[in-house]
Amino acid sequence: MTEDSPDATASPAPGRAPTVPRRYVGETSQWVTITRHQLAHYLRSYRFLGLVGFVLLVSGLTLGFQLIAGVEATRIAQLDKSSEYLSNFLAYIGLWIILAAAFFGGDALSVDFSTGTGYYMLVLPVRRATLLAGRYAAALVVTLGVVLVYYTVGLVGGSYFFGSAAVAWDSVAYSLAIAVLFSLAALAVAFSISAFFRSPAAGVLVTLLTIYVGFTTLQGVVELAGFEPWFSLTYAAGAMPTVLDTDFVHFQRIPLGSDQYYTLWSANISEGVLIMAAYLVVFLLLSVWLYQRKESTA
Amino acid sequence: MGSFAVEGLTKEFRGGAFALRDASFRYDGTGAIGCLGPNGAGKTTTLKLLVGLLRPTRGHAFLNDVDPMRDRKAALWDVGAVIETPEPYPTLAIYDTLRTVGQTRGLSVDGIDQEIDRCHELLDLPPLGRRVGALSKGQRQRVVLASALMGDPSVLLLDEPTSGLDPAERVLVRGLLGRLKRDHLLFISSHQMLEVTEVCDEVIVLHRGQVLLKDRVDRVTGRLRSRELVVEFDRPVDAAALAPLAALTSGIVPVAERRWRLRFGGDDAARVQLLAACQAIAPVVQFANATLVLEEAYLDVIASATAAP
Repeated sequence: MTEDSPDATASPAPGRAPTVPRRYVGETSQWVTITRHQLAHYLRSYRFLGLVGFVLLVSGLTLGFQLIAGVEATRIAQLDKSSEYLSNFLAYIGLWIILAAAFFGGDALSVDFSTGTGYYMLVLPVRRATLLAGRYAAALVVTLGVVLVYYTVGLVGGSYFFGSAAVAWDSVAYSLAIAVLFSLAALAVAFSISAFFRSPAAGVLVTLLTIYVGFTTLQGVVELAGFEPWFSLTYAAGAMPTVLDTDFVHFQRIPLGSDQYYTLWSANISEGVLIMAAYLVVFLLLSVWLYQRKESTA
Repeated sequence: MGSFAVEGLTKEFRGGAFALRDASFRYDGTGAIGCLGPNGAGKTTTLKLLVGLLRPTRGHAFLNDVDPMRDRKAALWDVGAVIETPEPYPTLAIYDTLRTVGQTRGLSVDGIDQEIDRCHELLDLPPLGRRVGALSKGQRQRVVLASALMGDPSVLLLDEPTSGLDPAERVLVRGLLGRLKRDHLLFISSHQMLEVTEVCDEVIVLHRGQVLLKDRVDRVTGRLRSRELVVEFDRPVDAAALAPLAALTSGIVPVAERRWRLRFGGDDAARVQLLAACQAIAPVVQFANATLVLEEAYLDVIASATAAP
């Protein structure tokens, strides 16, 4: 060992052979490693099992109610085909995705700065952008797991009421593809909030409040004023059921009384996709920038 | 051969509080460097700056000559670090946790298993299938140490490596650190004087973010003679029997029936006289420094710094 002080006397020790050989690992390999690590954590956590159980319970109860109450009482008889049923069933898919994004993304980065997780993961020879990308991919997989459960229950209902041959698989696949994009965008928002806050609970809560309460309220106010809420992620979520809706209307003017109208906007597919893509790019870049600059002061 | 260095490293937190001021040192090769200092002295801050967990206000840190602020991956490639209280995911098994570390450090599948076996043996790890969340604090700390050793990095940065360990585990880890320093470069931040005395070759003393002392442990202890001794006789001895020692000491305190603590000037001549006087009272089975010399040196350095305007 040598030291830079003038009185250092020890001579450098000879080099040593490492115990086992190591090779340079590229970003992609490390990304796969981090994704698998994070995914294993999610899949063994009560959070994932709890959310899947909750989605199954709510969607199962919806389907059960429809079965018990009958097609007339639940207005299913008025629907033309399976895709319309599924479109109605998916009206709230955006909210489920936001819930999953908040659960899996809201604390994905803040844990590094409030718990000991960061002291374990951030001292590994992995770039922070790679760590973020791995966690993002894992969060996407579990979020899509929740999405698939909901779609599956909807498809079971559609097949039961209209027959399995009536399912428009191409539209379902299209809707699912948009759901993937929406999940990516919602997770990007959740990750950027998570990179900003130190407390994991605050990250989850603020994600939920921002998207559920903030966007929804603002969207309602803007619509009431007669403007299209093109800036809102929750507005873009409408594109998922829209794909399956054969009677889609982009703009409605609903009379409320004398000379008063309520304007209602629904995102068409291309508009929804554009909004989602914009959120994805902006918030993902923001989360990378915030995460790379964050310090472990706790 | 690994190295770590800091050059004019300064960290100022919001509100103007300095955690580290203009620190500079460089070590390379092999051996163990202890970092001592009271709480808030800047020990952990130095380690965090070295691995890039904090951004320096001024100056640079280098691991194997790479600044972690410029390239984290390259800087940490051949470095194992245990800082603060790392927490692997509690949901995962020990094996899965260590495998992830091995994969990020570029070990092959066989290499990972080989390294896990090596760490399992070195640190007496619990069964590898056990979940991290089910481990005791000491077991978890050993898993964290194993993670730092995976891939056999040349530089090890360890913040209180024996904290949370029981006495047997401390002995195990101290022995391991003593062996590792032969072919690794260790930087150990610790409050445990025994650990630093036993393991480290050099010591850095930090106080209020400044480097107060930077020297070899043997040189530091060589400059100082302990002023307290413990003498143990082969039989119980009462205070009256120790009367001949009064002229040679400034204080005599009973420790146990056969053991007494003696305060004296600290020089070698007085030590020789005391030993002879004790042997005249009863056969002596132990005659040793009451405190670690390094601890006294450390307290002296800190006291001088605190007293300085």
